Amino acid sequence: MGISDLDAWIEKLKDSVLPSEDEIKVLCGKVREILVEEGNVQVVYAPVVVVGDVHGQFYDLLELFKVGGEPPWTNYIFLGDFVDRGYNSVETLLLLLALKVRFPDRVALIRGNHESRQVTQVYGFYEECVRKFGSATVWRLCAEIFDCMSLSAVVEQRVFCVHGGLSPGIESLEDIEAIDRKQEVPHEGPMCDLLWSDPEEVEGWTLSPRGAGYLFGEEAVQHFLHVNHLNFIARAHQLVMEGYKQMFQGRVVTVWSAPNYCYRCGNVASIMELDENLERNFKVFEAAPESSRPEKGRVKAPDYFL
Amino acid sequence: MQLRLNSIKRLGTIATALGPERTRSELLPFLNENIDDEDEVLLALAEQLGNFIDSVGGPKYAFCLLDLLETLAAVEETVVREKAVESLNKIVDVMAEAGQTDDVLKYFVPLVKRLAKGDWFTSRISATGLFHSAYRHIPRNNQTLKDELRNLFKELAQDETPMVRRALASKLSKFASVVEVKYVEDELIPIFVRLAGDEQDSVRLLAVENCAVLAKLSPVKSEVREEYLIPIARELAADKSWRVRFMFADKICELAEGLGFDATVKELAPSFYKLMEDCEAEVRTAAAFKIASFFETISRLDENMTDSSSVVSEVFEKLYSYSRDLSLDDSPFVRSALASNIMSVAPIVGPEITRDTLLRMFLKLLQDDFSEVRLNIIGSLEKVSQVIGIEKLASDLLPSIVELSEDRNWRIRYAAIELTPTLARQLGKSYFESDKKLGMLCVQWLSDTVYSVRELAIKNLTSLTELFGEEWAIEHVLPAIVALYKNSKNYLYRMTALHAMSSLSSKVPQEVVEQLFLPLLVEQACRDSVANIRFVAAKTLQDVAQYIKKETRSNLIIPCLEKLNNNMDEDSDVRYYANQALIALQSLV
Repeated sequence: MGISDLDAWIEKLKDSVLPSEDEIKVLCGKVREILVEEGNVQVVYAPVVVVGDVHGQFYDLLELFKVGGEPPWTNYIFLGDFVDRGYNSVETLLLLLALKVRFPDRVALIRGNHESRQVTQVYGFYEECVRKFGSATVWRLCAEIFDCMSLSAVVEQRVFCVHGGLSPGIESLEDIEAIDRKQEVPHEGPMCDLLWSDPEEVEGWTLSPRGAGYLFGEEAVQHFLHVNHLNFIARAHQLVMEGYKQMFQGRVVTVWSAPNYCYRCGNVASIMELDENLERNFKVFEAAPESSRPEKGRVKAPDYFL
Repeated sequence: MQLRLNSIKRLGTIATALGPERTRSELLPFLNENIDDEDEVLLALAEQLGNFIDSVGGPKYAFCLLDLLETLAAVEETVVREKAVESLNKIVDVMAEAGQTDDVLKYFVPLVKRLAKGDWFTSRISATGLFHSAYRHIPRNNQTLKDELRNLFKELAQDETPMVRRALASKLSKFASVVEVKYVEDELIPIFVRLAGDEQDSVRLLAVENCAVLAKLSPVKSEVREEYLIPIARELAADKSWRVRFMFADKICELAEGLGFDATVKELAPSFYKLMEDCEAEVRTAAAFKIASFFETISRLDENMTDSSSVVSEVFEKLYSYSRDLSLDDSPFVRSALASNIMSVAPIVGPEITRDTLLRMFLKLLQDDFSEVRLNIIGSLEKVSQVIGIEKLASDLLPSIVELSEDRNWRIRYAAIELTPTLARQLGKSYFESDKKLGMLCVQWLSDTVYSVRELAIKNLTSLTELFGEEWAIEHVLPAIVALYKNSKNYLYRMTALHAMSSLSSKVPQEVVEQLFLPLLVEQACRDSVANIRFVAAKTLQDVAQYIKKETRSNLIIPCLEKLNNNMDEDSDVRYYANQALIALQSLV
């Protein structure tokens, strides 16, 4: 598989034409090679655009690229939750994987709590794979890729990027490096917390109402930043109606990149540009207009909702 | 389950291996016994059986498949039933085509009758979808059987379950297309009348479409049209359920086609005006979407008429005055629907009316608060300009375009910039100098926050350079691009400047590229701290190289690219693009 093949796939995927199962097998092999080499704390350089949850909203991902620019011109770090809930998880994930293989230094992919076998069987990705390919093979291939994805990233040694948040079991970045990440997301422990926790106005640590991960307060954030010489934390994982939200005097930023989440929440989305000087610049965008979404693959409301 | 699903999907292969005889004697009975499966498996089975005639030994044995499909047509899950009905229709067509009419009468017609009399409403729903193919294949001389089927159809029209009546209503026009005209008039029209007055609005709303189709069946006598169809259309338009009125507005063109010019002008148009001021926003939206196509339909139907042009222009005046109210509607969706199509009437009404009336609405909608309205109306500029020419519009449009190009919504800014070259052709160079508002904007658009807008801004400047010539570009554009590169702390804008150089280098003289762009590319961009800028610089060098003297290429560009390529740069993408550029440059030599 050469660069020109990859470029052709990427163009086709943008027109939502799916590769064959065999081609996906090859693609996954390549992604795997790249991902396993990456550390649990991936090193990323500025400038870079930070992207939050996408959740299979493929046409909104294309809209995102229209706003932020496409790889390789713009560098990206995706904070996970590529799949589930939207109608086009397959297209979304495959496009991101193809971009990762084509431009490994321009695109970073971090694992989210939805990049898991258990969660994808409940929230749509599994079903979509079976519906679009007639079997679970593609889902299985993708699930293996999930196991290889990095858990976090640090931009210019100053900005910590993770899907969910912090863990009481993690003091320093070295603790994260020590995790054996190549497995299904566990139900508890540091790896689970990184993907599931949320920042909240609490003292210290509280169990999360989600049933996994913790709620962590300002104190935990300050401590973690201090110990690791970091400026702030960029994370996703929670719907923000305004697209992004800063907490604790800007020490935590939540970025949300799925506009009109689940096609009904009415929220706007955002991406965060970190420029050469790590200045944050938020770009808010709305869902792609109807005209840019082909009807196919969309579930029509039954006509008693007319 | 996956396993069973896969084996059902391979049913054809299995049958081929068994041969027709064993398929009939072993496979089908086996399938018949194992019908209690998941819906997904049953759906696959219902579909497969439709293509199974060859596997059981050809049309002669097609009847073997009917039993199994009859069972599937009675299950609870809708999609399975629908698939079974589809397959049954397919099979009976093949049987009849192969001359197996006796089998149709012996097996298929009784099957339809059984389903129609089924205890459970699901089978009765399936029956409604089979009547037309059964009826079609009954020989002309067998009137008794035909009468019987029509009577059954009539019974189902009075079924106590609304879902059955609804299914029947949706199949009525299909059935009507195979029934003899006499019976359509005597029997089906009364059924239609009853369904149009059904207590359930979900049944009544199907009557709208039926009305259009029945009216179009050409042999139907005009008295029938006058006596039944037109009054019912009138009632449906004023139905107490908004869903029915919505459907009426949505199907207005089909109704007009069916009922013809006179009835449209006398009956449908007044009803339509009422829907344009309906109390439900959804209904007004549906009507607003159809204004232009309704008027188009009327004008088309009018072509065969004489002395009716005054009637048509009267309709237009009415439509226009109601449209004016819609342009002030409280609901943005109504205004947006109006903006999406109203200007399509311009070519029909001609330049005079367009200039006197439509243009005012056009400019009004351009100022709308709701961005989608502005976007839709901008999109229709071409239709208006085709009729009255852009020169009439340019001066009116200029302030609006300027305003829209600074809109909060990037798609509106994009639409406004897209129109600029068209506008420029009319306004001329003087409006686009760097001390004029438009000239300044054209350069400012390069600094937009949205990537796609920046790229379009480059395209726009390139088109304008083609139009106004290189002198204009040298004076008003190029200095701005160089400044954009030098003054941008953010790499995205330095990149925009580089992309602009690539795009413009073909339109300006060689010396300018060499003196203005080249030093900047070689000395600054290729040494930028951001890798993205370095590889875009390499790509830009590749793009501009063909407009540069050969010796400059080998003295300046090639060494610079080689430096980036030969593992001197830490970034693999920089090395890749430098290498690509070197290969391209070699082919130039």
